[in-house]
Amino acid sequence: MKDAARVGSLTVKPPPFDYSAPDTLEEALFVLGEAGDEARPLAGGQSLVPLLSLRLARPSRLVDLAGITALKALDTAGGHLAVGAMVREREAERDERVRSLAPVLADALPLIGHPAIRSRGTIGGSLSHADPAAELPAVALVLEAELVAESRARGRRSIPAADFFTGFFTTALAPDELLTTLRVPSSAPGTGWAVDEVARRHGDFAIVGAAAMVRLDTSTGRIEEARLALAGVGDTPVRLPETEQMLAGAEPADGAFADAAENTMTRLSPPADVHGSAAYRRHVAGVLARRTLKLAAQRAREAA
Amino acid sequence: MQHIAERYTGASVRRSEDPRILTGSGRYVDDVRLPGMLHAAFVRSPVAHARITRIDVRAAAEAPGVVLVLTGEELERSLVPGPGIAAMFSRGAPVPAFTTLASDKVRVVGDPVVLVVAESRYLAEDACELVEVDYEELPAVMTPQAARDPASPAIFEDLAGNVLMHSPVAVFGDVDGAFARADRVVRADLRQHRHQNAPMECRGVVCSFDPESGELTVHSATQGVHIVRTTLSTALGLPPEKVRVLAGDIGGSFGLKLGAYREDVACAAASRQLGRPVRWMEDRLENLTFSGQAREESFEVEAAITNEGEILGLRVKMTIDTGAYPGMGTMLPELVKTMIPGPYKIGALSFEWTAVVTNKASYVAYRGPWASETWVRERMVDLVAMELGMEPIQVRLRNVATRETPPRRMVTGRSLAGVTAKESLEAIASTVDLPSFRRLQAGAREHGRYLGFGVATYIEPAPGPLEGKGGGGIMGPEQIRLRLAEDGTVTLFTSQMPHGQSHQTTFAQIAADEFGVPIEQVRVVVGDSDLVPMGFGTGGSRAATMAGGASLHGARALKARVKEIASHLFEAGAEDIELSGGSVAVRGVPASAMSLAELARAARAPGRLPPSLAGDVEVTAAFDGGEGGWSGGSHAAIVEVDVETGQVRVERYVVAEDCGTLINPAIVEGQVRGGVAQGIGAVLLERSVYDEETGQYLSSTFMDYVLATACEIPRIEIEHLETVPLDADVNFRGVGEGGMIIAPPTLCNAIEDALSPFSARVLEQHLPPARILELIGAIPAG
Repeated sequence: MKDAARVGSLTVKPPPFDYSAPDTLEEALFVLGEAGDEARPLAGGQSLVPLLSLRLARPSRLVDLAGITALKALDTAGGHLAVGAMVREREAERDERVRSLAPVLADALPLIGHPAIRSRGTIGGSLSHADPAAELPAVALVLEAELVAESRARGRRSIPAADFFTGFFTTALAPDELLTTLRVPSSAPGTGWAVDEVARRHGDFAIVGAAAMVRLDTSTGRIEEARLALAGVGDTPVRLPETEQMLAGAEPADGAFADAAENTMTRLSPPADVHGSAAYRRHVAGVLARRTLKLAAQRAREAA
Repeated sequence: MQHIAERYTGASVRRSEDPRILTGSGRYVDDVRLPGMLHAAFVRSPVAHARITRIDVRAAAEAPGVVLVLTGEELERSLVPGPGIAAMFSRGAPVPAFTTLASDKVRVVGDPVVLVVAESRYLAEDACELVEVDYEELPAVMTPQAARDPASPAIFEDLAGNVLMHSPVAVFGDVDGAFARADRVVRADLRQHRHQNAPMECRGVVCSFDPESGELTVHSATQGVHIVRTTLSTALGLPPEKVRVLAGDIGGSFGLKLGAYREDVACAAASRQLGRPVRWMEDRLENLTFSGQAREESFEVEAAITNEGEILGLRVKMTIDTGAYPGMGTMLPELVKTMIPGPYKIGALSFEWTAVVTNKASYVAYRGPWASETWVRERMVDLVAMELGMEPIQVRLRNVATRETPPRRMVTGRSLAGVTAKESLEAIASTVDLPSFRRLQAGAREHGRYLGFGVATYIEPAPGPLEGKGGGGIMGPEQIRLRLAEDGTVTLFTSQMPHGQSHQTTFAQIAADEFGVPIEQVRVVVGDSDLVPMGFGTGGSRAATMAGGASLHGARALKARVKEIASHLFEAGAEDIELSGGSVAVRGVPASAMSLAELARAARAPGRLPPSLAGDVEVTAAFDGGEGGWSGGSHAAIVEVDVETGQVRVERYVVAEDCGTLINPAIVEGQVRGGVAQGIGAVLLERSVYDEETGQYLSSTFMDYVLATACEIPRIEIEHLETVPLDADVNFRGVGEGGMIIAPPTLCNAIEDALSPFSARVLEQHLPPARILELIGAIPAG
């Protein structure tokens, strides 16, 4: 009944808040450090602003990150992709370096909302918001990305994606901490990928989303490594290690992917909402697991 | 015939509304800013059903910027008690007593309880949070089944339980005989789901009471300024002449914005109390939660059929869930009853209905409010086809009435004169090559792809046959006033209140043709209760025939008046006067030409004309609908269903429609496409969902109430059949509602066809992906 609270306060006007627009990361971290857990960073506002308007979020202060140039860099030093937290989704989507170094991310980006939303929404904003049905958290998991965070009190640290999403709209970030960079390790040559989702409409949050990466053994043609992450099936994006283990060493054949899909379904206890029952989500998770793993394997074969 | 080509009527004349609206220069109620204007917000019920035991507004009254806080009890003291607009649509059903702001009880989530008026909406909302209301919760009555339970707590204490009305059984033709003769009987329980208007612009009002003159001026987003005036003057106890209602551009309505709502009454009363303008703009949360919902009806149907596919008779029991407060819910079943035979030769019908009250948002009009008759009938036709293993379009062609003299009648009574259902079905059959589709479908199934074809047909009273009943459909004849202004333009005053229908263009087309001036010289004035003739406003697809006809006859009358004036001025016979190109002249004497502007000025100049003609060059006219009547058509869809995810793609959508003579093909097609889009949305996306235990509303944002976007709507192929004219002049018929009436059965039929290998029967209108998988047994019903 998460919707009940929302209906209880029928209003779409934000409650009062203070507003800061720092020019530098240092300044932003200072403000966040001073404000404690009453402040919220504003990183594109595509989720936070509606939450404010519904008075579901009531921060005392918004710290608008839009003016911090240092967070807008997209870097490929050493062949690793590093995406600044304030890079707009639309910008990343159009960037050839993202396409070549992290095609699974490039394929996921057009599934986020609509162009107008992606033109405001940021990579860091979406990851920090940690909507379990969103595309980027699942993609970060499947990429085994590192999320670089910084605070005034404790400096910089790197959080593996597997440790970053800790609960329903909850991350490992401390209240005084900002996500600054998404670091994507380079994939081994010949890695195939696939992203797919079922949403009510194009641009909606996924009812279920799936991201897969598959690498084949070039000599045997068998699966060397498979990764699978799902969105919309739990409190956080979900990685499926048992399913992945089943596939390691297997022939990339329909039967193996069907078995993997069956296995995936048994491991989920998805939520229900107006868009679909738990049974529906579980079923579709299996379908998307099978489809994405199969397509990823096919791409891996083509790349080999 | 070359004259026809030069006419505006029938041409896709560009909308005169567009330059203003598309450049952001439209003027909506939200754009109204008055000096000293205050902002209203409402404290609304967070629960579905409860007794109010305490309200404390002291903290809110002292909050920054707050000017007035009113509880229901306080507000009621300044109002005239009565059911307001509710009685108008109740059609003989009991109208329960309730207050404008809930005072003793709340009956739906979002029920307005306290009005806060402040210097800004933000401050008003902040103050709303300080109002304390104690609720003693009662069990929420959320379904017709619960409402029928005598043990359910009465939502209105002055009603005997929650069954609002149960009709007698109406019998047309020999029903028992039809069922006795039948080879088979097909039975189905069919459910249409609750969904809602959700116009782009929410409701809104700015009320401004002038204490000096005692006049109330109301800026309203409405489909008709006079209904708003009537409701507000009645509720506030003001003479109608002291209330002026203005409406500017309207951002859609689809039936929602009919008359003044409870919030409007509260704001008007607050403005009177304060002597300052009070503005309320509904926000989306209020709109989705409380403004109104529609369509939730269920049917038990039996069809008596022969083995050859002839439908001999129907037995129908209808239940309508009218929600909490009186809206349109008890008006519709009688319309459904009358219309359910549609364009078919169905010879017998028995029909009874029950209306119940529940703790949901009120049932309001929504584009084709009676549409369930078409959905139920067209679903039944396909279920009959399935039973007999026949092609559904063949069952339709077998049963549909053909045009004959004298015209056939529906078993419920109305004449089917001019109905071209058979022709539109044949047009569909020739556009969609069905035999080759069936081959494609069979081949695709072998590869695990599930395609389906669906067709459906309907007629719509737009405005419906005259039949000597006074005309004008359910709302009476349409009046119009035309004036020749002193600059030579023709100004047309209409009670129609366009909210997307392009009346300012179409009426100008008709009047320009009939009067004989360039279209730029016709101005259409709407939205001012002091200026436009009294009328219902826009609704019931009556504008094209009724106001279009009034425009034509009005322009004709104005032309006659102008000729009469010219004949005096020129001292020539009226029959010798020619009017063309914006001037009048004596036939054959070009030198006599006088511009219309000069003529208008001459008429107002003292002493130049006899008293009967002197003054403003102005006429009034009325039109009763003439001999026109039905619009209608057939639609077909080809869909593909992904049976693994339940997703439906509409691959092709074909329309063969008949709205008589087209005034403006581009505008007609826009109406058809918009209606089809809403119909596709109804089936695949839109549903107003309540938690049946708590009564909480679960579709309160656009993340949960999902509307169709351009991505979900295919290209729509449209063929126009223009019926043989029935009326000497006016053969335009309404086309606003048809798409929304016929698209849902078309799509449901196509989806059922796609799922036929799974033997799925589609007995409900809403088919989101999860439900598709339940219907084919891929997942358990949830």
